Amino acid sequence: MNAVHCQQIEKSFGSGETEVKVLRGVDFTAHQGEMTFLVGPSGCGKTTLISIIAGLLGSDSGSVELFGESIASLSSREQILFRRRHLGFVFQQYNLLPSLTAAENAAVPLFAAGMNRKAAVAKAADLLDRLGIGHRAHALPRLLSGGQQQRVALARALVHEPRLIICDEPTAALDHKSGESVMELLSNSAVHPDRAVIVVTHDNRVFHFAHRIAHMDDGVITHTESSAPTAATH
Amino acid sequence: MIALALQMLRHDGAKFLTMVLAVALAAFLTQNQASFLVAFLGMTGSQIRDVREADLWVMESDTECFDQAKPLKETAVQTVRGFEGVEWALPMLKLDTHARTESGKLSTITLIGVSEDSRVGEPKMRQGEAASIYQRDSAVIDPGGMSLLYPGEEFRPGMKIRIHDEWLELRGVSEASPPFTGFPIVHVSHATAMRLNRAESRSTTFVIGRLRSDANAADVTRRIRESTGWKALTRSEFEAASWKFYSDQGVPNLFYITITVGLIVGIAFTGQTFLMFVKENARAFTTLKVLGFTHHQLALMMTAQAALVVALGLSIGTAMVVGTTELAKSLPFFRGLYLPWQVSLACCAVIGCVTVLTAGLSFRQVLQLKPADVFRS
Repeated sequence: MNAVHCQQIEKSFGSGETEVKVLRGVDFTAHQGEMTFLVGPSGCGKTTLISIIAGLLGSDSGSVELFGESIASLSSREQILFRRRHLGFVFQQYNLLPSLTAAENAAVPLFAAGMNRKAAVAKAADLLDRLGIGHRAHALPRLLSGGQQQRVALARALVHEPRLIICDEPTAALDHKSGESVMELLSNSAVHPDRAVIVVTHDNRVFHFAHRIAHMDDGVITHTESSAPTAATH
Repeated sequence: MIALALQMLRHDGAKFLTMVLAVALAAFLTQNQASFLVAFLGMTGSQIRDVREADLWVMESDTECFDQAKPLKETAVQTVRGFEGVEWALPMLKLDTHARTESGKLSTITLIGVSEDSRVGEPKMRQGEAASIYQRDSAVIDPGGMSLLYPGEEFRPGMKIRIHDEWLELRGVSEASPPFTGFPIVHVSHATAMRLNRAESRSTTFVIGRLRSDANAADVTRRIRESTGWKALTRSEFEAASWKFYSDQGVPNLFYITITVGLIVGIAFTGQTFLMFVKENARAFTTLKVLGFTHHQLALMMTAQAALVVALGLSIGTAMVVGTTELAKSLPFFRGLYLPWQVSLACCAVIGCVTVLTAGLSFRQVLQLKPADVFRS
């Protein structure tokens, strides 16, 4: 089943002579149970596309459907609630809150959903344990290595069991070994029959984790290739 | 969620402390200066309030406050007694003169003569008996006077002060309310006051009286004014007139300036620091937006942060005011100082509202954060 279905997405920034057309009619699909990589050179429009898919940015034209629901038809509050319930994010710079412990950071989506603090932190700590970083659950982000921080970010993306996880350059700030380790964890823990994972990257060392790779250049998807992930185990 | 907000705030210890101290400073300055202002202006009516039995004050028409009174004719008492609605009336003699101790210490004093027959205006006593002032050549002095004329000394019977070449024996320390002028208040009998009143031929500074319970105060004072040309006021009117007289001299202006500076400094520091806090936490707030925090939730978080800053700042500031007020009250001149709860409440309400308002302005920054910027490294 299609988790994400984008048709003819167009997006420009600026106007008049300064107008820059970033997306020029993008068609993109991501399937449940798969990890879809969105790859391409810097400035080709990858981040703009995932921003539109996540409902963080509006498109000029075209349609985006997540699990059969049109994002554009939702009010801004409904978009926030949809995002809170169904989407998880992993960022290049981890974006952990420096004042919160690892477990508290991982529990943030549960806080947003109004879950009791103690229960939320316990659930997040349990997930951290499963991701192999339970022993650092009470550490502040500044005391964690880059790889550990990204694991916490991964736990935050998974803790509320979303149906779509969007990862923006999850290995860009990590060395090869840590990046490989994070991708393996992502592949093992995030890929699920009811869930789709979109990974934006230009780190070709981790391409072997992908089920499908969409190549993007100059605002369009040039071609999509399917592949059997070699490192993913379910 | 509120715990999350407070954790974010506490984590940035330097800014948190700056904001709390700024609010504390504003709370301290405004409450301290406002209470000083209220207490000092309240002192302008001290000697009026001290004559508890009198609710009618008649004085020469040019008199504007207790401390600047011209004497009336001797017949004034009889005239006032003749008005319908006046239950009783008595002369009160107040002199502004000088007193010197046996060691040569000199001070301007306010001398008040109390009628031996009625004992109206007799002071409450801290040490000694009030009735002792009716003995020949006797007086009692207030605590401020004791510390001015006998610095560092405790009262002991037999102490003497000289007024107009006459020695009076001090027989006690009164609880006279602290006067605005800060001069010692010396109570003597009316007869002694008359004897010491050498500079003036007239010996009635005020006619004090009581209105009958069924009398209309406004009507009685109007009739006295119209038929005599003197000023006739109820006690509260005379207190208000004294308050206004000193207010019009510009006394409150310095306090107003300090209060305003305190508010501006406190609010500017708090607002600026809160804005910096939000700016430096822009990535965190953007992340929270992306992860599904609604504007309502973010507003609640920022309100909680502002509320914590305000609560701590106001508590510290108010505690400092209470502490300094208690400390100052131990000094004789400041013994009338107090922190009226209304002043405290008003200052705290203003500072609290403005601080929350500055937090609200900072929240606009949060509203303007673009969630899509979360992907920018």
